[in-house]
Amino acid sequence: MNNANRETLLSIKDLEITFGSGKSKFVAVQDVNFDIFKGEIFSLVGESGSGKTTIGRAVLGINPTSKGEIIFEGKQINGKISSKEKFQIERKIQMIFQDPSASLNERATVDYIISEGLYNYKLFKTEDERLNKVREMLEAVGLLPEQLYRYPHEFSGGQRQRIGIARALIMNPDLVVADEPISALDMSIRAQVLNLLKKFQREQGVTFLFVAHDLSVVRYISDRIAVIRAGKILELAETEELFKNPIHPYTKSLLSAIPIPDPQIARSRKNIIYNPNMHDYSIEKPEFREIRTGHFVYCSDSEAIEYKKNIKD
Amino acid sequence: MQEKTNQSKIYEIDTIVPIANVSEDDFAVVSLNSKENEKIDTPKYSYWGSVAKKFFFSKITIFMLLLMLVIFLMAFIQPLFSGYNLESVGNINDFKARYNWPSAKYWFGTDANGNSLFDAIWAGARTSISIGVIASLITEIIGVIVGAVWGISKKIDRLMLEIYNVIANVPSLLIIIVLSYSFGNGFWNLIFAMTCTSWIGTAYFMRVQVMIMREREYNVASRTLGTPTKRIIFRNILPYLTSVIVTDVSMSLPSFISYEVFLSFLGVGLSQNVPSLGRLISQYSPYMTSYPYLFWLPVLVLALITISLYIIGQRLADASDPRTHL
Repeated sequence: MNNANRETLLSIKDLEITFGSGKSKFVAVQDVNFDIFKGEIFSLVGESGSGKTTIGRAVLGINPTSKGEIIFEGKQINGKISSKEKFQIERKIQMIFQDPSASLNERATVDYIISEGLYNYKLFKTEDERLNKVREMLEAVGLLPEQLYRYPHEFSGGQRQRIGIARALIMNPDLVVADEPISALDMSIRAQVLNLLKKFQREQGVTFLFVAHDLSVVRYISDRIAVIRAGKILELAETEELFKNPIHPYTKSLLSAIPIPDPQIARSRKNIIYNPNMHDYSIEKPEFREIRTGHFVYCSDSEAIEYKKNIKD
Repeated sequence: MQEKTNQSKIYEIDTIVPIANVSEDDFAVVSLNSKENEKIDTPKYSYWGSVAKKFFFSKITIFMLLLMLVIFLMAFIQPLFSGYNLESVGNINDFKARYNWPSAKYWFGTDANGNSLFDAIWAGARTSISIGVIASLITEIIGVIVGAVWGISKKIDRLMLEIYNVIANVPSLLIIIVLSYSFGNGFWNLIFAMTCTSWIGTAYFMRVQVMIMREREYNVASRTLGTPTKRIIFRNILPYLTSVIVTDVSMSLPSFISYEVFLSFLGVGLSQNVPSLGRLISQYSPYMTSYPYLFWLPVLVLALITISLYIIGQRLADASDPRTHL
């Protein structure tokens, strides 16, 4: 795919997010740059505490940003924007939450939960139209219309997560931030939810920012992957490119840690341990550089030359 | 040895159903019905239905509820027929009507003025219950609304905390006494004095509860769906606090009734011609040894009112907590 011809939906430039101020100031995310193209599933992968969820939440405007720009459909959406504009953007960017039992209102029926956004934006003319929309959505996520008046705690974890997906997608969003949507789910129902997300991408052209820590899941679902560590994006490439030619040592160590369900291969495989002190950035400042077309790595000049030499085709 | 026997058993199974006899007709294709998997078989859950079921489950609760109903009905219907008047001294010269011990004619006996204590108690209970119910309703309504806004808004929080610190450091009984002195005696004046500052305690309590709920993830989810704050308060936060609110009501109802009794005992609060349980208790306390029924019967009725209200309130609070519904 040629990225130059694709329409950019979301563009993040030099993003910095800090929590607290003064002595207790903590920089959670720094120098983050990436574009998300229309209709793709873009994944952010990293260990816990790396800032991947923070970026997702900043896109939604839940976390305030301290520096940089988040540009959505050509307009800046972070920092000071009018509440009217914010309200309009909120409809276009939706979120799927990590824990389906914590993110659903236990005292409301599924009917209300799914149509909450419809009420807020008055996306229906008559009561019948709203009910039809909710029913269609329920069927689209594989639930039964007769469950409309049940409460979230009556559902299984997978069903609850599908309610969460229905609630986000009924708004017809352009971008959906999926914050580890499957990590709270049982292994057996993960595929169900992943396939559902893929279905919406295919059929409705929804763009996803998929936040996860599980590389095998990410490989299955995403078009492009960004690897993030300690608030910095270290490598960004198309999925297969990243898995075939990992360039950054951190990515290499991550890929070497994916479990292989074959004891013989697993035993002979060498695990790579990443040491963040191996980079000497005291003289040359690191930057996010394009090593190959569409393959970006966070490195200094001399590292870039070395990386380019070692690329296999 | 063990293994050998196990193996022989396996062979035996084979001999029971010889493979040659198993034909393809014995098997049927089982398909996976994904729609069927989604079905929930449990009966439909309804919040208030479960509350009622849980509430009426206990026999003590039903007994207390009946007791409370009887007291309330007596208090609000009996005075309509008895025509009891606190200041009536019509029977004062009728010596036969004075100081009668409880009997078939005078169920609760009579006092120095020849007035029936039975009539006096229900007329008094009516005032006391009215004060308790009205005062706690006002307190709860103002307290919950102010507390919800207080807990949500950080700007209001700063201002309200200062006001709360000033008011909460003055004993509430002192405020009530001073206010009822300065406004003069009277039913509505007493209610005003009681509710004037009591709502801030409820509001503070609600503020803490709302603050706990505020950052829960489902509220963040609502915000990303563009839900306005007002709807978040009414649809997301307050329904979670039903049991907390009911508990608070169940505590404040008896406490307002006892405030009234205490104030009437001191002689402040209600006007001289209004009967109340507090006034009866203070009026008859000199007879504690000579005619004990005059003192103890109003106390007993007061105790029954507060205990039944308290227990019903507690049971309702327990029942309205969905964690008990399973």
